[in-house]
Amino acid sequence: MTSPVTEPATIGEFRAAVREWFTHNDLSAGPDHSLDGQVAQLARVRRALYDAGWMRYGWPAEVGGLGGPAALRAVLGEEVASRDLAEPGIYSMIEVLAPTMISYAPPALAAEMVPLLLSGAEQWCQGFSEPGSGSDLASLSTRAEPHGDDWVVNGQKVWTSLAQYSQRCVLLTRTAPGHGGITAFFVDMDTPGITVRPLRTMHGIDEFAEVFFDDVVVPGDRMLGRPGDGWQLAMDLLPHERSTCFWHRVAFLYERLERLVGETATTTATTGAAGADDADLGAAYLALHTIRCRSHATQRRLADGARLGPETSIDKVLLATAEQRLFDTARDLLPGAVELTDPRWRSEYLYSRAATIYGGTAEIQRNIIARRLLDLGKE
Amino acid sequence: MDTAEHDLIVETFRKAMTGSSGAALDAALDELGWADLLAEEPDTAIPVVFTLLGETGSHASVLNDVVAQAGGEPLGTTVTLPFTGGRWVRWERADAPAAQPPSEGAGDLLDPTLPLRLAEPGDPDLHLAAARRALGWWLLGTGRAMLALAREHALARTQFGRPIASFQAVRHRLAETLVALEGAEATLNAATASPEPFTCLLAKAAAGRASLDAARHCQQVLAGIGFTAEHDFHHHLRRTLTLDGLLGSARDLTRQAGAHIREQGHAPRLINL
Ligand SMILES: Cc1cc2nc3c(=O)[nH]c(=O)nc-3n(C[C@H](O)[C@H](O)[C@H](O)COP(=O)(O)OP(=O)(O)OC[C@H]3O[C@@H](n4cnc5c(N)ncnc54)[C@H](O)[C@@H]3O)c2cc1C
Repeated sequence: MTSPVTEPATIGEFRAAVREWFTHNDLSAGPDHSLDGQVAQLARVRRALYDAGWMRYGWPAEVGGLGGPAALRAVLGEEVASRDLAEPGIYSMIEVLAPTMISYAPPALAAEMVPLLLSGAEQWCQGFSEPGSGSDLASLSTRAEPHGDDWVVNGQKVWTSLAQYSQRCVLLTRTAPGHGGITAFFVDMDTPGITVRPLRTMHGIDEFAEVFFDDVVVPGDRMLGRPGDGWQLAMDLLPHERSTCFWHRVAFLYERLERLVGETATTTATTGAAGADDADLGAAYLALHTIRCRSHATQRRLADGARLGPETSIDKVLLATAEQRLFDTARDLLPGAVELTDPRWRSEYLYSRAATIYGGTAEIQRNIIARRLLDLGKE
Repeated sequence: MDTAEHDLIVETFRKAMTGSSGAALDAALDELGWADLLAEEPDTAIPVVFTLLGETGSHASVLNDVVAQAGGEPLGTTVTLPFTGGRWVRWERADAPAAQPPSEGAGDLLDPTLPLRLAEPGDPDLHLAAARRALGWWLLGTGRAMLALAREHALARTQFGRPIASFQAVRHRLAETLVALEGAEATLNAATASPEPFTCLLAKAAAGRASLDAARHCQQVLAGIGFTAEHDFHHHLRRTLTLDGLLGSARDLTRQAGAHIREQGHAPRLINL
């Protein structure tokens, strides 16, 4: 196994070294685009990048990392997405799960567990949403009750991405009323009393599941933070989700735009209408360029030690809008591909419809912008 | 330049623009050392001065200077500039006819306060990147001015016994406006950091689009009062539409960007970590 020969000193050097490494290490995905295939490919990519050291940059030494700024993770994810090596949504889950462990888990637990995630040995999931608590996350009702040194969990989660593949779950529970009564646990998914029932999704890749908790015993030392820290933990995820994760997704969308350009070139060559679609292509590109510029600025601020807050709702709206515009454009410019002939465009087009739902809906983002950024007072 | 110096410049220029417009503002800017600032600190001069023109609603003929400087010409000249639709205009260094005693032709233009005049075709090889970026900042400032007016109105105006700012439909329009303006600002900052022509073209397109969106949403929130000539809103609307057309509209530039990526078969990542 090759490992980085010299320590890359700058982001530019890191990028160059990663690119060089990829020229000798082909991790291209096979023909299996099913979810099983995607998850296996993700584990393979993580394993190889971990063994080569790349996956460890940007993470602290305490959890098996090699240090350096978080931007290194953004760059690595961009290189992965640009080569279409892993589905960016599931590749990026690490960006919210690992920082949560680093901030909230007992240090020994984080040191033991995070390398399992980074190296592709395990998948983890995030159990936040419930049947009765989507946008209104703070109303969640899955109960955790103390029992000696343990806690006993009862309730149900829903839309839990990758639950059916996961060894662990970052779980939000209710231990007391109100925002201050939410408590997080790091739960082993093979604990007796947990039942996972995959849900069918409309894009045919059944990435999420319902998870039932029936008298599930969780040791007290698996609590993340202290009782009542769960809401803060959920809020602290946002800066991670909205920096490195977004950069990965934007990189993926650029790759898809180029694919679209390539495919429209072939269509227009036969119909002779070159240029007719330039306004649409340009608008899709401009939307991507805009979120890329915005995300760049956000990561700069994070690197300079700024605390990210409600202003990242702007990044979220720009990204979701750009993603849907891109896939709408693909459908317009490749007539019939989504409906009739191209299962990949079909699946990705359908998945893009979720961009304004997951991670806080488009409406919730606008509520936050109105209240917190424009200071318009209460609704 | 440190923050204190920067703030001082902003305040000084803001004051000048609040007190005057047109030829008088040209003179005031001269006195404040606009030419030196543009030569020595263009990355401060252009964002500060042009954003303030938008925010204050005043105008000056400084776009000529940005074009002249990019082409290595002396400042103080007047350049014939392309406008959308294959037209050309000159931005005169005098007050608009409408701002003077009524004369023939006054009110011919959508924004009658600007000293713009239709002209014979000019130089097709002008270096427009810096000027597009400058107009982008101006459009951003204009968009911010409209958002400020609409926000103020939303908080002050009561209907059904509560401020209209409490209605979600109103809130979401204003949120949408802020998203568009912030996105445009990110592209303008990117074009300042790496001022290649294509990055500047995209920034002008983003700013034009954002200001047009701001005009649409803010007009709706201001409703009847925003339709009167007594309220300031319509000045900013006229300015937005006119500046959008100058040096290529959002629509023209977006189409050019599309043609570019189609011809290259590649979507350039212009900004990198
Ligand atoms: C692909 C995908 C993956 C997901 N992965 C996960 C995961 O891994 N873990 C997890 O915990 N969750 C996950 N989710 C769940 C996701 O976070 C929720 O779907 C989301 O928070 C919205 O909740 P909801 O679906 O219950 O919609 P609701 O909250 O019921 O909203 C329904 C509609 O009402 C609107 N609405 C609600 N409240 C307001 C309001 N105050 N003002 C204006 N409009 C409002 C919403 O915007 C929406 O349009 C995933 C969802 C999807 C689609």
